[in-house]
Amino acid sequence: MFDFNLSMPTNADPNTLYDLIIIGGGPAGLTAGLYAARYKLKTLMLEKAVISGGQLTATEWVENYPGFPEPILGQKLAKDMESQAKQFGLEIINESVIDVDLAGSIKKIVTDYSTWQAKSVLIATGSASRKLGVPGEKENAGRGVSYCATCDGPFYPDKIVAVIGGGNSAFEESIFLAKYASKVVIIHRSDDYRADKIIQDKVMANPKIELMPGYAVQSIEFANSDDKHLVLVEQGTGAEISFPADGVFIFIGHVPNTKLFEEKIELEAGYIVTDRRHFTNVEGVWAAGDVEAKSLRQVATAVGDGACAAFWINKYIEDWTEN
Amino acid sequence: MPILDDKTKTEVTKILGTMIKPVTLKLFTQPFECGYCKDTHELLEEIVELNPLLKLEVVQFDQDTDVVAEFGIDKIPAIAVIGDRDYGIRFYGIPAGYEFSSLLSAVLMVSTGVHKLTDQAKKFLDNLAKPVHLQVFVTPTCPYCPPAVIMAHQMAFYSDKVKADMVEVSEFPHIGNKYSVQGVPRTVVNEKWFMEGAAPEQMLIDKIKESL
Repeated sequence: MFDFNLSMPTNADPNTLYDLIIIGGGPAGLTAGLYAARYKLKTLMLEKAVISGGQLTATEWVENYPGFPEPILGQKLAKDMESQAKQFGLEIINESVIDVDLAGSIKKIVTDYSTWQAKSVLIATGSASRKLGVPGEKENAGRGVSYCATCDGPFYPDKIVAVIGGGNSAFEESIFLAKYASKVVIIHRSDDYRADKIIQDKVMANPKIELMPGYAVQSIEFANSDDKHLVLVEQGTGAEISFPADGVFIFIGHVPNTKLFEEKIELEAGYIVTDRRHFTNVEGVWAAGDVEAKSLRQVATAVGDGACAAFWINKYIEDWTEN
Repeated sequence: MPILDDKTKTEVTKILGTMIKPVTLKLFTQPFECGYCKDTHELLEEIVELNPLLKLEVVQFDQDTDVVAEFGIDKIPAIAVIGDRDYGIRFYGIPAGYEFSSLLSAVLMVSTGVHKLTDQAKKFLDNLAKPVHLQVFVTPTCPYCPPAVIMAHQMAFYSDKVKADMVEVSEFPHIGNKYSVQGVPRTVVNEKWFMEGAAPEQMLIDKIKESL
């Protein structure tokens, strides 16, 4: 009847020189932690939240992670990933990283409380969906407000969904959503769409997708399940209208969590540039998951990135010498 | 039918293994008109069995009015986490789901004296002249809630001026309405100031400053 989601930090010692410090406890970090622990690398994970799992913990159901033909709760998947990694010896500390010194052979990671040291660092800080910042958005995240169509689209069979945005993501994801929803309406501030022409053409040709240019979202009113709607404002006139929708998907971009690494690691549009081994341009520093400059950001890809990075980190540690 | 499964009990036993000083969980309950009193009581009975340093004291909310008043309890189920003294750490509603971590964190903090407040926060709390009441509204399925609860409880632990409550909003919807809680976590500072989300320590300090 009750769930007890226990997630307690381990007791780590700041005087330890770790083989590897993983920053961020989402699927990429947890998978790297699992692999690294099994390689017997002394590994510490720094996760700012009390609960590991990153964006996964805010996802109600995961339907596209292989091996789970029935949808699995994001929180359950996250908890299981964490338990599995801990079982093999991963240490997890709930501290927020405030500074990093990645230059030398020994890396220093500064949190609010301690300075941790390691021979190598894996950055798995992820990215966050850019928010609209309107009333009702945060309150209804995971309850009608979504930032991932491939994740949540199948929950809207024969429903009306609104898509916010005017770029490639908004258009591409609308095509995906139209497989399920009876009607998809793309709401955008202007009629000047950033999406590639070829995708725009595909959208125009889809009878289920409508464009609604010239409107901005003022609020998301999902509290009353019998009267779920958005309040939209017509640009120019300022007139308010009520737009009924069962769900709203927001695709106005992502924000990589890389502020700490600006000027320290090569970034591309804010994301960390890596090679095939997930190696960054800084010796001894890897990146995995959403934080990397790449094309697809899913649990499945994050897990692969984490495993691959751990493999190369293990090789690096074998040859590591202090200089 | 036990409320905690064996796997969770093993995990809790391990976590409580780091306790140093005894801790008392004072449960305020009554046999009627309380949806989660019975379950909370059972949960705590099962937990205190897992470590001899942990004790349960049951206070009848409808009868032991002096104790209820002494601990300032106004809704049930309520848990006060007491160490060598009362630090003002309260849980209103069952600490299930992710809040189970918050309860064990509070127990460990009171037992070991270890908290994670920064020097900056300690300095601010040392100079508090007026009382501060923090109410952190949560739901058990909210992964972002425990950091907000733990932060508030740390402040209560450190400063005699601060009292901090976890309030499981689905059990007390009228209180949620009173403070317009539509999303969690939401921290209410001294009744009238609000903070959304699991905000960093400094942001909570700034909000407390505003409220004084």
